Amino acid sequence: MSEYFQDYVAVAAFAAFGLVLVVLTLGITYLVRPSNPTKEKVTTYECGVDPVGEGWNHTFIRYYIFGLLFVVFDVEAVFLFPWAVAAESLGVPGMIAVVIFILTLLEGLLYAVRKGVLKWE
Amino acid sequence: MDLDYHALAPEIVVAATILLVLGLDVALPRRRKYWTAFAGVVGLTLAAVPLVTLALGGGPGARSMLGGGYVVDDFALVLKAVFIAGGYLVLLMSVSYIESDRYYQGEYYLLLLTSILGSLIMASSRDLITVFVGLELVTGPLFLLAGWRKGDARSNEASLKFFILGVLSTAVLLYGMSFLYGLTGSVTFEGIRTAGAGLLDSGAFRLAVLFTLIGFGFKITAVPFHFWAPDTYEGAPTPVTAYLSVGSKAAGFVGLLLLCYRAFPSVTEIWGPALWVLAALSMTLGNLTALRQDNIVRMLAYSSIAQGGFILVPFAAAAVTNDPLVIQEAASATIVYVIIYAFMNLGAFAVVIEGARRTGTSMIDGWAGMWRYAPRLAVLGAVFFFSLAGIPPLAGWYAKFAMFLAILRPGNPWTAALAVIAAVNAVIALVYYARVGKTMWMDPLPDGASDGERTARPMSGALALALGISVIFVILAGVLPFQLAGVFAEAAKVVTAGI
Repeated sequence: MSEYFQDYVAVAAFAAFGLVLVVLTLGITYLVRPSNPTKEKVTTYECGVDPVGEGWNHTFIRYYIFGLLFVVFDVEAVFLFPWAVAAESLGVPGMIAVVIFILTLLEGLLYAVRKGVLKWE
Repeated sequence: MDLDYHALAPEIVVAATILLVLGLDVALPRRRKYWTAFAGVVGLTLAAVPLVTLALGGGPGARSMLGGGYVVDDFALVLKAVFIAGGYLVLLMSVSYIESDRYYQGEYYLLLLTSILGSLIMASSRDLITVFVGLELVTGPLFLLAGWRKGDARSNEASLKFFILGVLSTAVLLYGMSFLYGLTGSVTFEGIRTAGAGLLDSGAFRLAVLFTLIGFGFKITAVPFHFWAPDTYEGAPTPVTAYLSVGSKAAGFVGLLLLCYRAFPSVTEIWGPALWVLAALSMTLGNLTALRQDNIVRMLAYSSIAQGGFILVPFAAAAVTNDPLVIQEAASATIVYVIIYAFMNLGAFAVVIEGARRTGTSMIDGWAGMWRYAPRLAVLGAVFFFSLAGIPPLAGWYAKFAMFLAILRPGNPWTAALAVIAAVNAVIALVYYARVGKTMWMDPLPDGASDGERTARPMSGALALALGISVIFVILAGVLPFQLAGVFAEAAKVVTAGI
């Protein structure tokens, strides 16, 4: 049992180091820097331009569907790259499996197109 | 590639059916969508064929794949047959219901079949990762199906509650599983069993076992993890409720059987008392609350919680003994109960679907005098509700008989106490099941209802077929229980092997 938790000493040390690093850098700058807040300085930082709207913001629901489709094809790529590397040794059965995999995803994309997901109006 | 395509054939056929249903849904115009239901029914029928050839084929007893993580043995085959049969009945029950309200038909069957595929994977899984993937494949589509009636606030509530508590239970389950892997260094049930024997005194291992049990406790709606069930059952479309109370529940019990008998047999003192308490609470609370329900779907929800308690009872018997024969009998009692429960509960839900369509209400009072305008439906209703109560010669009596036999066998005071609790609950349950029968057969018609109006609309053929199949099973299994039990004993022998 105790051995099991000793493996986690490294994890704990790592976490403590991360904490110390943040506290140290922020703490030192706090001690060194002058503090002179103005209205301009305390507004939300939004890439340098004046912030628009409030923090509570609606996001268009369509982005969600695009995000979902992106994940699908991202995962496809995750599976395709290792296959491509080992394609020669996997041979014909590997080829068939990958074709089935891609066709399945293609059917899903076809369904999405049919449902009008890719139309932007 | 060491894949055994014959052993995987049922899963492959169901997966191909899913792709076919999606393709049909894309290709067909709106008024032809019912072909997707037809494709689903045919696909499930075809998926049963390799099950028969695997069972009759003999050859190697257990076909093991993926490093022992995926096994097709007698246990897996029996439960896959149940899942396919249950899914088949739910598909048949859905056809007229889904068509009548212009729901999204293609997607409905796609999701239902996906959930069935998940339960097939559950039955074969023999490691933590496969069991988790299977369980999530069962539950994931059901979150969507529970909210299928988009315009209905109750359906939305059902879906949301189910989703939040489902995710919570998944998190607890995964937490427990990560502990298990960390402590034993293995994800396979065999590995956990071997390493677990040396970890009896470890508090972390105790927690890990309990966390995994709690995770499954949500899935089988055991008290006190049942809060989501009544609202979800009531709000979801009725065929989905039928599937939730049978398919997804049976999948949870399969996971529990596998974990308790294959992964944790050396630590019965951890899970035995826990399941004893869950069983006693589920039976008592489920039954007492069911007594007070006036909506029939809600009553069936609490009844299903109570039946889950009865199914848990034999686990407590297996935990107090080392006799392999008694343990095997306990496992067999659980499997028998799950299977008989599946058929009689699906039958009861089919009656509810048809009854609600005829009378336009799911309040029990509204069904008064049903035998006047729907005598056959009233007979079927009586059959299924009395079977749930455990009245011979209907199948339910044998389920309860096997359960009592298993719990009385060890002769331990604690198991005897549980047997007493179960006996009292069986009597309580009879009250509310019989009340439905009494309302249908003895009460006068409600005011303003004429006989002629309610007889006008005939039942759909698919629903009639579902009712026919389940009533034949319920009567046959009740009259010839021991022939049926022989099949399940084989499955129990496999799952308890090596204890």
